[in-house]
Amino acid sequence: MNGKNRFGGRLAMALVFVFLYAPIFVLMVFSFNDSTSRTVWQGFSLHWYQELFQDGIIINSLYTTLLVALLSSLIATVAGTFAAVGFYNMKRRWRTPLMTINNIPMTNADIVTGVSMCLLFVAAFGAWNSFAQQINTASGTSLPTLAMGFGTLLIAHITFNIPYVILSVGPKLRQMDKNLVEAAQDLGCTWMQAFFKVVLPEIKPGVVNGLLIAFTMSVDDFVISYFTAGPATSTLAMTIYGMTKKRISPKINAVSTLLFVTVLLLLVIVNLREAGQERRRKHPGRAASPGSSRRGTVLGAGALAAVILALVLLSRQNSARVLNICGWGENIDPALIEQFQEETGIRVNYQTAESNEAMYSKVLMGGSGYDVIVPSDYMVSQMRQEGLLAELNYDNIPNFQLIGDAYKNLPYDPENRYTVPYTWGTLGIIYNTTMVDEPITSWSALFDPQYAGQVLMINNPRDAIGVALLYLGYSVNTTDEGEIREAYELLRQAKADGVYQSFVMDEVYDKMEAGEAAIAVYYAGDFLAMHENNPDLAYVVPQEGSNWFVDAMCVLKDAPHKEEAELWINFICSTDSCLANMDYIWYASPNARALAEYPAYYKSLYGEEMDPALYEIMAAPAEVLAGCESYDALPAEVGDLYKNLWTELGIG
Amino acid sequence: MAKELIRLVDCCMSYDDTQVLDHINLYINDREFLTLLGPSGCGKTTTLRIIGGFTTPTSGKVLFDGQEISSLPPHLRQVNTVFQRYALFPHLNVFENVAFGLRIPRREEINGKKKKVKLPEEEIRRRVLEMLEVVSLKGFEERHVGELSGGQQQRVAIARALVNRPKVLLLDEPLGALDLRLRKDMQSELKRIQQQMGITFIYVTHDQEEALAMSDTIVVMDQGRIQQIGTPEDVYNEPKNAFVADFIGESNILDGIMHQDYVVEFFNRKFKCLDKGFAPMEPVDVVIRPEDVDIVPVEEGQLRGTVTAVTFKGVHYDTIVDFKGYKWLIQTTDYHPVGREIGIVLNPDDIHIMHKSSYSGMFGDYSSYSEEYDEINDPTYVEDGEEAGYEE
Repeated sequence: MNGKNRFGGRLAMALVFVFLYAPIFVLMVFSFNDSTSRTVWQGFSLHWYQELFQDGIIINSLYTTLLVALLSSLIATVAGTFAAVGFYNMKRRWRTPLMTINNIPMTNADIVTGVSMCLLFVAAFGAWNSFAQQINTASGTSLPTLAMGFGTLLIAHITFNIPYVILSVGPKLRQMDKNLVEAAQDLGCTWMQAFFKVVLPEIKPGVVNGLLIAFTMSVDDFVISYFTAGPATSTLAMTIYGMTKKRISPKINAVSTLLFVTVLLLLVIVNLREAGQERRRKHPGRAASPGSSRRGTVLGAGALAAVILALVLLSRQNSARVLNICGWGENIDPALIEQFQEETGIRVNYQTAESNEAMYSKVLMGGSGYDVIVPSDYMVSQMRQEGLLAELNYDNIPNFQLIGDAYKNLPYDPENRYTVPYTWGTLGIIYNTTMVDEPITSWSALFDPQYAGQVLMINNPRDAIGVALLYLGYSVNTTDEGEIREAYELLRQAKADGVYQSFVMDEVYDKMEAGEAAIAVYYAGDFLAMHENNPDLAYVVPQEGSNWFVDAMCVLKDAPHKEEAELWINFICSTDSCLANMDYIWYASPNARALAEYPAYYKSLYGEEMDPALYEIMAAPAEVLAGCESYDALPAEVGDLYKNLWTELGIG
Repeated sequence: MAKELIRLVDCCMSYDDTQVLDHINLYINDREFLTLLGPSGCGKTTTLRIIGGFTTPTSGKVLFDGQEISSLPPHLRQVNTVFQRYALFPHLNVFENVAFGLRIPRREEINGKKKKVKLPEEEIRRRVLEMLEVVSLKGFEERHVGELSGGQQQRVAIARALVNRPKVLLLDEPLGALDLRLRKDMQSELKRIQQQMGITFIYVTHDQEEALAMSDTIVVMDQGRIQQIGTPEDVYNEPKNAFVADFIGESNILDGIMHQDYVVEFFNRKFKCLDKGFAPMEPVDVVIRPEDVDIVPVEEGQLRGTVTAVTFKGVHYDTIVDFKGYKWLIQTTDYHPVGREIGIVLNPDDIHIMHKSSYSGMFGDYSSYSEEYDEINDPTYVEDGEEAGYEE
């Protein structure tokens, strides 16, 4: 090979490595960024690592992820290895079809596996629970009822991991000299002894490989976990996905960096060990005595057992009382959860959904097991009408009286029997003052060819068609097909004119902060987060009025822990909780006192005055709200119209 | 009088619908070197595996020292095996391979209590080193088995089996993967080890030369049946049927008629022989070994033929002679060119008479000389191109 070729080869290899590792490298760099921005470097900081370890939600899901990955990969490795041995000993006539059956689950779509497992668990548990109830009432025993949770998650992960282990171990077995087992038995071993003394060392690379694959697959998995984890358990992937309704916190960069480094270290250790063995093989003078290697194995197994035991014990801090909440990512100060747990001794399982619709379908699918959910207004309305919500006992929620009158008896719950508001805010236009000639005051900017390629339209039909309706002077809750089609036509034309750079949800952060777009439609609370990273940004509720939205806490009708749920709602309504939450998520609180006191709270916390303009954006004054309208649940046929038009618009 | 150690009683074996062993009856004496000889697929390895305990016969019994052991698992039998391709443990060095069996704790009854007994480390060390010396591998203890030549691996396999002091050592084509010279060396080496250890060897091979050179007793097998059991001299000089006559050494096999004791007719001519006990005028197979035929001038011969092919073999010439359309192989130290007419003389002890069998007419004709010749002279086969080390 000549020098030129070699250079070309090296270049290609370097490119491959850059391609493989650049994303991880960027992620690691930004985990040390002293800002919430994912695109702008603002100096080195360990801030996110510190935050990470204070965020109970992420730490909990990280812990669940690792525990499930560890247990499922270990169990799957043991089961899969023995299954592979079984396959190996089988006659070819049986082995070939069975191996095909083994391989099918791997080629099967995760979503199918996930849904089918979910259905199986729901059906089996449903049958068992009704049976147990009958027995319990009939004979006074207390057979436990079953629900999806850590156990079902673990079972699911073991199930999808086993085929990978079999696939990894099988070839090693086939490479092995067939007589080895017989030779060991001939020399006095039982089959089991032969397996451990001879077969296992021979297939070890395959077993270790299978274990690593299983571990990785388990950490990786989102879809199957999503359907089998139940209400009380979240893996890291689920938590991260739940954050997409809001922005993905840079804490995730930190946790991903830690995961990556951990796996890297593991691999380095494994490789060093193998290199060491190779060296020992080459220099027989230094061969380890069998005693020491056996001691090593025993030590290793002991350490592993200790780790597992510790993990299991840690997970045993189950208190009798639990509460399952489904909220949004980055939509609560995690310290509040800790505080509540300490004060009441109730263990809180906080799961996150990525959208109202996702949460709704999970509830409908049954077996969600949530107690408290925090849907947005229109979804509250829908769920209330469908009879999914439980009436609250407001005697148990004395802090409800702290809620401002403006946030009570809203259209989604006219008699206020089901809900307690959680946060509220407005939808508006975020724009970069350096990129537009004059301040923006009207929704017209979103349809103006003058800003071609500069506008980020929000990527959800309700808000996008909603702002068009507002611009046209119609109600956001209109059911008139003509009006809706007119609004759609406005959007379609603007899209055809090239006004929209793209339709985005949480990418809006990066694009606006980096100055890649001039105008965007998004929520007030999120504007405040962006403004921290780019002070050139401004927010306006356009003169035509806008949507003002409320997220409200509700209790599901079939909630298993109603009492705890009401305790939680009361706790969250307190002025202290509301202040802490407002400071964390920058969405306005319906607690009137907290809302009024926030500027003072801000000053006491950061030692400087809060910019009153920013405060007004967060807590829109009454006159602004007067021009705003909240979303109502749309009738089914109108909902379908929205969906169809949205598809017709052809985004992406 | 030798003591009987192993007996197979009516052992049959079939896989699916194929019968691989057909009523095998066999006894093996203590300290005997017994060889199971036959072509591939004859059932010799299956027989060995039944003795080793790796296969349970479909029917029949296996007795060891008078005790039935038909269903005893291999690890409880006082038998050890040297596998065809050695089956050394790749993750262990030479010392640990040999020590493997010694490190397995054995259950023993001590004062009426069953206990697991482990050998002390010094004893293991002593016995392993002793055994490595027996197989001439002193100083190789720390070597990894992958670094050894084929012959050395062979010795490790033997040491690994013998260190457990078995009463019987089973060897499954142990020299199959070695080259010719090494195989000859190992033959005498194995014989020496067997005598030194004073134990029974049961040896499986398809190589008749190997069998003749090493065995006390040869069991010739074909198609799942025992064809003949005897000493090497017996099976060579007194083959029971055409298969044995052909498989052990070279034979010209002719149709003949036994007129009376000591008189046989073939090629329309009566010959004196040393065989008796046949029915009058019984059709028989006549075996004439190629090296027993004396070539004489044409006029002095009992039979006359023409030389059709000659191959120089070093010690002798393989000469193919046509007798009235029937071709014989004759081995002679004198050169007779192709086309020469010659006569032959057969002495009574050159002629061996066998009863007719299902093998009659299948062997012993050298008409299609070249093909058969190749087949016979290709007893070595390297199983799957595995490279055995040649240096030693």
